Amino acid sequence: MDFNFTQNENDFRQEIKDWLSENLSQRISNKVKKFQRLDKNDYEEFMKALSAKGWLAVNWPKEHGGTGWSNTQKHIFEEEIVKAGAPRIVPFGLNMLGPVLMEFGNEEQKKYYLPRILNCDDWWAQGYSEPGSGSDLASLKTKAVDNGDHYIVNGQKTWTTLGQFANKIFCLVKTDSNCKPQNGISFLLIDIDSHGIEVRPIITLDGEHEVNEVWLKDVKVPKENLLGEENKGWTYAKYLLTHERTGIAGVPNSKSAINHLKVIANKTYKNGIPLIQDPLFSSQIAELEIDLKAMEIFNLRAISSAESGKAPVMESSLLKIKGSIIRQKTSDLLRKAIGPQALPYISEQFDEGWNQETIGPEYAGPLAKQYFIYRKISIYGGSNEIQKNIVAKSEFRM
Amino acid sequence: MHFNLSEERKMLKESCDRLLNDHYTQYKNHHEVSSSETGFNKKFWQECSEIGMLSALISPNFNGLGGTGEDIMIVFELIGKHLVVEPFLSSGILSITSLINSKDIETSVLDEISSASKIYAFGHSEVDTRYDETYIKTKANYKNDAVFLTGQKSFVLNGDFADKIICTARFSGNDFDQNGFGLYEIDKTHCDIRSYNTIDGYRAAELKFSEIPAKELCKNSDAYNALLETLYAGAFALSAESIGAMQVCFNMTLEYLKTREQFGKPIGSFQALQHRMVDVMIEIEQAKSAVMLAAGTYEADKDTKYKNISAAKNLVGRSGKLVAEECIQLHGGIAMTWEYNLHNYAKRLIMIDHLMGDSDHHLEKFKLYSNY
Ligand SMILES: Cc1cc2nc3c(=O)[nH]c(=O)nc-3n(C[C@H](O)[C@H](O)[C@H](O)COP(=O)(O)OP(=O)(O)OC[C@H]3O[C@@H](n4cnc5c(N)ncnc54)[C@H](O)[C@@H]3O)c2cc1C
Repeated sequence: MDFNFTQNENDFRQEIKDWLSENLSQRISNKVKKFQRLDKNDYEEFMKALSAKGWLAVNWPKEHGGTGWSNTQKHIFEEEIVKAGAPRIVPFGLNMLGPVLMEFGNEEQKKYYLPRILNCDDWWAQGYSEPGSGSDLASLKTKAVDNGDHYIVNGQKTWTTLGQFANKIFCLVKTDSNCKPQNGISFLLIDIDSHGIEVRPIITLDGEHEVNEVWLKDVKVPKENLLGEENKGWTYAKYLLTHERTGIAGVPNSKSAINHLKVIANKTYKNGIPLIQDPLFSSQIAELEIDLKAMEIFNLRAISSAESGKAPVMESSLLKIKGSIIRQKTSDLLRKAIGPQALPYISEQFDEGWNQETIGPEYAGPLAKQYFIYRKISIYGGSNEIQKNIVAKSEFRM
Repeated sequence: MHFNLSEERKMLKESCDRLLNDHYTQYKNHHEVSSSETGFNKKFWQECSEIGMLSALISPNFNGLGGTGEDIMIVFELIGKHLVVEPFLSSGILSITSLINSKDIETSVLDEISSASKIYAFGHSEVDTRYDETYIKTKANYKNDAVFLTGQKSFVLNGDFADKIICTARFSGNDFDQNGFGLYEIDKTHCDIRSYNTIDGYRAAELKFSEIPAKELCKNSDAYNALLETLYAGAFALSAESIGAMQVCFNMTLEYLKTREQFGKPIGSFQALQHRMVDVMIEIEQAKSAVMLAAGTYEADKDTKYKNISAAKNLVGRSGKLVAEECIQLHGGIAMTWEYNLHNYAKRLIMIDHLMGDSDHHLEKFKLYSNY
């Protein structure tokens, strides 16, 4: 056991910091810190800079243009980009499709798609969920019918995150209905510009547009866009779950949020005393910090056991649950800290360049909104209830 | 002891419920009403007054028809049930309570409020005073026989469209003193107003003013007492409102659990979710009970009254959060959409904890009034 970073790792951290201070534009980090709306260019500007440096595909092996970093290095990198206020690295192509392509794609697909992900030529969206199929994904109904050299796809995907920016979508579709649902699913790579596809916005409870419905009507998808074998899509989709998911607990995000909370609790007064000195409130922050520190170690333990070759399926689920709870609790205390300052909602404040006077301190504006939208963290990517089912089923064997 | 409403109150409840329901089902959600110029529907406010919803908040001693804890509870539960944005809290509870507790109040002023011909707002919070009861930085300056106010009041509910604002201001002592401040009436037209909607879809405003003429309502210990009465009336009304909103969240979620199918059956058939709903149910019953206790002691001595209101407000703060969070979670993705009305109730439940003292504030007050 050794809880210290090596000199090399500390040097690595410094290298990341230095690079970020030169290459992450102030304009973008300001927007991220103010929780302002990001457009496609904001994401791409940062991702392209990383790509040019060779740091975009953090999780990919070197042969495909990845960093080949150790898990500890990845951890350090993630921590630093969050601290610096970078936009999130859009995961759908890089962390979801990429690894599946490498494992199951054919040579042409790998040659064509992987560099395009690496160079930000393609923006991928994840087309798994459907209106009737959320937790029970295998019940999906979008159908692909064999029509010679192509499929004809009909159906509807939903909750498609950032689909409004995407030019491609990887979809799970039904290719055989006369068998166990899991055995009749295929994995298709689809052009969003194809004839018959319509992307419609879903406005979330914070009034923002981040998710979409994707309607597919008689969409022609060439057969060469089938990933792997027909009817094996479920295996590929599940591969993602067993694939390393070091970032799942969101440790860097929670760390930076708790720091933010402490700063705010220092600046906010209750009966003339900083909130951070209030026994009731500071105890709640302290508990959160204890939880987070423990989870950070838990996360590192899971990472290191993954390095020795064991797929951390159970750990991933536990970490996702705990990670979401800590994230949500932090956002809960953040809005609580500012009291009535959480009430005003000025939508324009979240537009770039907004420079009017805020009501209360500038940091107050996004906190209530953040609290509400972060309820999603325990719902998407397999809800906490589903994670519990997975653990109970795979571990307890009762 | 009994927990039933009298026939008269049952009728009040039913007629108010019908009126609110008929009106609010015309809209997609309450944002449609609060995003209007006035922030609420003036004509409908008039109708509420006509069926007696406002005089139900005022005691017969002041020309009203109610004003007991039970009356307020009935009205505000319905306000929570329908997410009513009309100024029941600001003009109804806060202004009326502060006026009633000021000296020499003319009942004609209350009549104007209860007949909906005048709207009052109550401005006590300042931008960084959080929930501190007597932290008042707005200054009252007495010159000869007149008094002039300078300062800023924040988060003033319906402050942009009220005819008059009742606010606190200090003329002596340090920022926290229980003495040395008064309640004053000022005219909206003298204020610099910045109006906005709150995250849960209600209207509020920032008011700035400098050396504007004011009318003194009361000062020193009278003002302190009136302020406490007002803040506690608000906390109580909000607690009752919370119950109405919790019940809607619960019903919507139960309905959804029965209809949403995954894995070939209604998700409500999963025992894990049934247990969560039972937990929610327990907390709602607890919260209801605490609010009923506070209603029953609304006319009792101040210590008992405040203790029970603080208990209720603390409890609805905690259970409101549980209900909001659990009902969203048990719905899954659909609850995250703007279209599906649940978020409006969830937001109200959470934001009630940001008004008139949060659950921590009232925990401490509970200890104070229980002589811990
Ligand atoms: C903001 C956001 C972004 C998203 N982005 C994407 C995306 O980019 N691509 C994509 O494909 N999907 C995306 N999703 C969809 C997400 O994965 C689903 O919302 C999730 O799988 C839950 O499905 P559901 O919403 O249909 O809820 P349901 O499956 O209907 O579940 C409702 C409730 O029932 C519970 N439940 C269901 N089954 C069981 C059971 N067997 N035992 C116990 N409890 C159960 C759930 O936990 C939940 O509490 C996103 C969702 C959100 C909210």
